[in-house]
Amino acid sequence: MSMQKAVDNNRSSNAGLSMDNQEKLLADALQNVRQHAFAMKRVLDQQSVMEGLKHAANMLGELRTSLLSPKNYYELHVVVVEELHHLELYLTDEFEHGRGSHDLYEVVQYAGNIVPRLYLLITIGHVYIRANELPRREVLRDLVEMCRGVQHPLRGLFLRNYLLQCVKSLLPDTEEENQEASKTGTILDSLDFILLNFSEMNKLWVRMQYQGHTRDLQRREQERRELRILVGTNLVRLSELECVNVERYKTIVLPKIMEQVVSCRDSIAQEYLMECIIQVFPDEYHLNTLNEFLKACRELSASVNIRNILISLIDRLTAYSTRDGSQQNIPENIQLFDIFSEQIAEVVKSRINMPPEDIVALQSALLNLSLKCYRDQFEYGNKVLENTRKIFDNIALDTQVQTGTPAAKELVKMLKIPIDCYDILDVLKLNHYKLVLQLLSYRERHTVCMYIINSILDKETIIPTAEQVTQLFELLLTLIIDQTDSALETSRQTITNEDFVEEQNLVARLYNNFQAPNDPDQQYHIIKICQDTFKNGGLERMRFTYPPIIMQAYALTFRYKNIREQDEKWEKKCQKLFQLCNQLINTLTKLETNDLPLRLYLQGALAASEIGSENAETIAYEFFSQAYTLYEEQAGDTRAQSASLTLLIGTLEKVTCFAEENHSTLRQSLTQAATRLVKRPDQVRTLLLCTHLFWSAQRLNESTQKSEQVHDNEKVLACLKKATKLTTQIMDQSVQVQLYNELLNTYIYFFNQNLPDIDITLLNSLIEKLQNEMSKISSNENDEFIRNQIQKTFDYLRQQSQLEKFQGLQINN
Amino acid sequence: MPVQGTETRPEIARLPTQQISSQDRYEPPDNFLEIEVANPITHGLSGNRYTDYEIRMKTNLPVFRLKECSVRRRYSDFDWLRKELERDSKILVPPLPGKAWERQIPAFLRNNDGIFDDDFIEDRRKGLEEFINKIAGHPLAQNERALHVFLQEEKIDPETYSPGKVRNG
Repeated sequence: MSMQKAVDNNRSSNAGLSMDNQEKLLADALQNVRQHAFAMKRVLDQQSVMEGLKHAANMLGELRTSLLSPKNYYELHVVVVEELHHLELYLTDEFEHGRGSHDLYEVVQYAGNIVPRLYLLITIGHVYIRANELPRREVLRDLVEMCRGVQHPLRGLFLRNYLLQCVKSLLPDTEEENQEASKTGTILDSLDFILLNFSEMNKLWVRMQYQGHTRDLQRREQERRELRILVGTNLVRLSELECVNVERYKTIVLPKIMEQVVSCRDSIAQEYLMECIIQVFPDEYHLNTLNEFLKACRELSASVNIRNILISLIDRLTAYSTRDGSQQNIPENIQLFDIFSEQIAEVVKSRINMPPEDIVALQSALLNLSLKCYRDQFEYGNKVLENTRKIFDNIALDTQVQTGTPAAKELVKMLKIPIDCYDILDVLKLNHYKLVLQLLSYRERHTVCMYIINSILDKETIIPTAEQVTQLFELLLTLIIDQTDSALETSRQTITNEDFVEEQNLVARLYNNFQAPNDPDQQYHIIKICQDTFKNGGLERMRFTYPPIIMQAYALTFRYKNIREQDEKWEKKCQKLFQLCNQLINTLTKLETNDLPLRLYLQGALAASEIGSENAETIAYEFFSQAYTLYEEQAGDTRAQSASLTLLIGTLEKVTCFAEENHSTLRQSLTQAATRLVKRPDQVRTLLLCTHLFWSAQRLNESTQKSEQVHDNEKVLACLKKATKLTTQIMDQSVQVQLYNELLNTYIYFFNQNLPDIDITLLNSLIEKLQNEMSKISSNENDEFIRNQIQKTFDYLRQQSQLEKFQGLQINN
Repeated sequence: MPVQGTETRPEIARLPTQQISSQDRYEPPDNFLEIEVANPITHGLSGNRYTDYEIRMKTNLPVFRLKECSVRRRYSDFDWLRKELERDSKILVPPLPGKAWERQIPAFLRNNDGIFDDDFIEDRRKGLEEFINKIAGHPLAQNERALHVFLQEEKIDPETYSPGKVRNG
């Protein structure tokens, strides 16, 4: 290698480097270019070709500079090429009109400096080929060889790029020579041309790495990256040739390209060119050259980021194979999975410093391939998951991947792939999935579990068997029970923590997707499994997870009832279900959840009543009395008590399975409870509700085994009278009037029910009382509401007054 | 030259190009040479002070034995080198930065720190760096043993040194 002046390297790059200096240099150069171009155009207008060439040469002289940065050189180059185009047009025009000069190709070679000389030669050569002045093949050969004369990296790259652009449409793309004209060349000549141009450009591009002081290395590398498209254009041009087929690609094109890529040992070039090859050539070519390509990958220099290259290729081929929704595109003899699996293993082996996150990313791409291309063959996906686990076991057995690290992030991404591709039932068939999940720390496991649940809910997947439910719970264990590695997390398990609430709500919602549609026994198994699983989760979780189980259990009893013809054990099964619920609700009472257990008990009582199985009454009574106990424990919270009592009364009114003895006990208790409420208005209202217990509520007639309404006139009247008396004791006049109205309404109801002892006169007296009391209330907003209520009552009465029943009703405005 | 004419005029035919081996094609060029003069340190106490500089060199020129080295030299060493080269080599040796006599007059007659003044040291450093880079890049200087001793031996030992030529590193 000849010794170039070492000092020049430093000097030329130091001078002109400052920003202002660059701007000025570029501005000056551009101005010169425009001046020469203007002169050139002017003399060309006067048909003076030689003068035109002289000015063109002067203009091109600006491209001889060493002082501009690549970015600025590019700007200059663009302008020069644009102006040169005028020359080209002029000459083409001359030839079209038969006035072309025939010796220009020789003449321009007398230009003094090589850069202008070669640009002119390329321009003229291009025109001459078009005009059939010179044989195409020879000229192309000539030009690509002569460009060797410029060995300066920046100038050489742009010169050869200009060459490539000029001959774009001239490259021969035929199998055989054109018989009419001689020496037009064939596709093989084009390949030679482009491959030679490519290897020279790559050489120059790599040479840039060594130009200049080591302290400017980073800037130089950035500049190199900015110029990469100049080199890549050669590959693009190759891909555009139609006569390049798979065979030629495999035997000529790819080997030649690879030779340069591998031997240059430059990581910037290798990273870019490998990616370029993947993007530029069709997938069909890649499929047929996989082994060659992957072998070259292994030979790349150690600092090349091979991960992205491989993933790029795998993803492209995965997309190719599943295009148009089919999996047909890959020929039988190409076992994509095996090839990539093997190659990735080789690559990982050969690069000992590959960080774990890169290895995981490669495995993820492979997993994506297996799941998309081999959809129904779970063993491929399983294999990848197993291998991933092995990799980490080899690094450190039974150790979790630290939270927040890139490796952890990649693992999470990997685990999301099967969830996206399949529905959960298929994911459960990947039995190594949980092996990889176990590698993660708490936070990442949590993320994946939430992702899984959300996916199931979004896709509305139904999970129909107990076994699958068990498998699913294995995966979701992180959310279901306390984890040993979440020491910080247990403190946040309260309903005040929004995230916890959200998370447990999701788990609870999941429950609705556990449905065995035609198999109630299977559903029962599912319920048992859920109970067994959730009971280990701690009270705070049970608050969320138990209620769905309980409600499902009630629903299941109805299903059993429906198939009672086919299943003689249905009543026993219902009994077991109710017992289970009893147990679960009992556990929930330890929480401070206000009326949740109470409501659940009442729901159960109702369910039992509706089912009407042989011991429905016992069950209902037990549940009801439990609810009542809970009610009693609410003493001290007047509002809660009042609400709970209302619930109890409402439920009793609906439950039909109690015989008289039980029913009367309950009626009495509830009525007494009503009178024991602390606040008067509550007492009145609740008593009014109790009236229905003595009227429309149903109890079981033991002899007829049918339910019938209580219809106890006396007790109804007693309640009404008591309620009326209590109302008179209320001090707040607005409230009192409101209650009088409510009383009246209840009386009207029973009047319509033909309760004896409620007659028109009674109604009339009540109406009169109400009308008198009305005047006492004020005219503010609250009372406006009351007034409206009363008006509604009166309006109703006026309507009814036409009926015979209401004869004698005294109502006026 | 016309493309077709080569059959009739072989003297203007293009010379056959030799295939360059891929190693030669992509290898870093053999002309890498960077020398930095840095880290001036003033040693000693009042009467006996002197300043020396670190000479850091990186190269891949075959003629140098070490591809990376670092030595400390003072101004008088540079002067020695200059004299050796002026006598033995055929190159026109560039000048050193000045001896700065006006800084060596008695302290009470000047208002600066003499030759231990920070600005002065920095100026001198730049001058020395320019000097050594110019010399070391010259092929004729690269053949002189004095240069190799200066750049790559830890001490310039007058007992072991004798002038001569260096062919290979």
